[in-house]
Amino acid sequence: MADASLAAMAHPALTDMKTPEPVRTHQPLASRRYTLEIRQHMAWRWQALILGIALLVGLAISAAILVAAGVPADELANEFVMQTFFDGQNFRAVLFQAAPMILVGLAGSMAFRARFWNLGLEGQMIWGAIGATAVSMWQIGPDNLRLPLMFVAAIGCGLLWVLGPAWLKLKLGVNEIISTLMLNYMAANFLLHLVYGGWKDPKDNFPYSPQFRAFERLPELGAGVGSAILLAGIVALLAWWLVGVSRAGLYLRFVDANPRVAHAAGVPVRRTIYGAVLLSGAMAGLAGFAVVAGQEGRLTQAFYQGYGFSGILIAFLARNNPLAATVVALLVAALFVTGRSLQVFYQVPFSMVQLIQAVIVICVASSDFFIRHRLRRVGREAVA
Amino acid sequence: MSGGVVLNWLASTPDFAVPYALAALGLIICERAGVLSLGAEGLMLVGALAGIGAQLALGQPAVSLVLAMLAASLVSVLFAVMVIWLRVNQVIAGLALVFFCQGLTALVGSMADWTNHATEGIGTMALWPLSLLPGVGRLFEQNAMVWLTLPIFGAVAWFFARTSTGLRLRAVGENPQAADAAGIRVTAWRFAAVLAGSALVGLAGAYISVVSTKLWIAGMTGGRGWIAVGLVIFARWSPWKALAGAMLFGCIEALIPQLAAAGVQLPQYFVMMTPYAVTLGVMIWVALGKRSGDDEPGALGQPYVREERR
Repeated sequence: MADASLAAMAHPALTDMKTPEPVRTHQPLASRRYTLEIRQHMAWRWQALILGIALLVGLAISAAILVAAGVPADELANEFVMQTFFDGQNFRAVLFQAAPMILVGLAGSMAFRARFWNLGLEGQMIWGAIGATAVSMWQIGPDNLRLPLMFVAAIGCGLLWVLGPAWLKLKLGVNEIISTLMLNYMAANFLLHLVYGGWKDPKDNFPYSPQFRAFERLPELGAGVGSAILLAGIVALLAWWLVGVSRAGLYLRFVDANPRVAHAAGVPVRRTIYGAVLLSGAMAGLAGFAVVAGQEGRLTQAFYQGYGFSGILIAFLARNNPLAATVVALLVAALFVTGRSLQVFYQVPFSMVQLIQAVIVICVASSDFFIRHRLRRVGREAVA
Repeated sequence: MSGGVVLNWLASTPDFAVPYALAALGLIICERAGVLSLGAEGLMLVGALAGIGAQLALGQPAVSLVLAMLAASLVSVLFAVMVIWLRVNQVIAGLALVFFCQGLTALVGSMADWTNHATEGIGTMALWPLSLLPGVGRLFEQNAMVWLTLPIFGAVAWFFARTSTGLRLRAVGENPQAADAAGIRVTAWRFAAVLAGSALVGLAGAYISVVSTKLWIAGMTGGRGWIAVGLVIFARWSPWKALAGAMLFGCIEALIPQLAAAGVQLPQYFVMMTPYAVTLGVMIWVALGKRSGDDEPGALGQPYVREERR
């Protein structure tokens, strides 16, 4: 460690000193070191290039895994690129799938902006769906107000399910990663309790709730596109306005950067965190509403699976930006649709979609290293 | 409850407790070195799948368990490279690892056709002469892994408390800057800790598949990895407290089938919630009783960047 070059590294002032001529005949390998420097800034097009390469590497690894799992390579390209994006019916399927995906992605980014690891998106989504279904089951309110009431119930239930962990974190310092995860498992079991118990469809005794009536479902916009995607788009725009334009968004950026400094600057830190986290729960609840009222038309036992991680992934890849989250969510939705058809045609398990998402996250997260650091060779040569 | 039920309950407790205990111990090794390993759930699945795969192929439980440990270690290299070399946020890396492993194990399990094939577990080992005691004797008839868990805990606790190597590992997790200045290679120690800890987490998973249930089902760990993460916080990063916590969780989980066998009618899905509810309760209890001296490793979750010394 007592290397002249390292001493120079540790004390920048020393680099100006005249170092002795390096001995070129014998240079031990150990002296040829690479050192890491933290990069202050990188031009955005380089950042985009690195990100693009990382995405391609991730997709290439995923494709290799799929081919190893027995999916023919040419079919894969056809399935993902052509079928998903250039076929009208499949594109509608992507839009159909995208609505809850956008909402969970926004939910994730909202909480992460407040430095709150809300890993309970699935639980909040389940409760949103339960709330909406309860309004339908118990026929609360007149028919023409039923859908808005379901909407409100979903928001309320999702919000309440995250209130507990938020309060525990801010009041007692309970780790929100564990608490929100535990609440996911509890919500999932409660859902099973409902659909295998009192809420079982009396018509065919299958473990799902009775079908919603026509006026309890999100209407179609036309050309087979459901209005759930419109709802998601509106929420995305509102979220963008909230974090990008409003005063609350400014506060949130302060809190995200440094809660202590934010507090000193007079930002209501706790209220801002509460607001962001509760909003996150509300959006996740809305995602549950979008699934039951927009897709399934009833409460089913496993509708939420995969959304929690997708929400985290979308928020991470979009760097918590609402508009970017919308775009990423569309891509993840395409992945879901492709995954479903692979599942049908090649018996690839649906968890394959999770695997691909994880590979992409790993690649993108790792590529961040090259944006934030630079490798520099130091050694006797480099110092001289 | 009659005495027989209580005895049955206590006798079946270790079987439920061992996975929690081993996983928590593995996590303690990781976290003592400053690496927050949220990937436990995934690594347990890897251990469970590798264990059952080896068991179906070779039929030697001891070999299967060792191979499961190696498999989990191997997968954790990916995590170690991400968080130690590439300084990826440890929460994101841990979550990605979980989902990576969930997908991978489900895929490999279905491709290799290892799903739902019952295997032979390992037999029980009576702890002579305690097993000859009248009545309570059967508490001391457990499988070999239960008995092996105790020396593993003893060894790790001794390692942390009594050896200079253990001290170095703790120094790396407590204050990597100071450790580095003292000539301890932070990166290498953290790597070693992640690999060793992950091996134990993998063993915990393999215990579930090879020893307890004796078959593989995708996602069979069912959140036990996350519970182990909570258990470590409850145990304040101390191996013996983690063992006590694991026994507590084992007791609770073991009670459920006993009550059902005794004819007590319980709402099934609420019963299945209990481990998670108890974890949550324990987290709250720990937070309420927070003592002044915080035992959390000082650098937990923080990547070490040497240049930041300047």
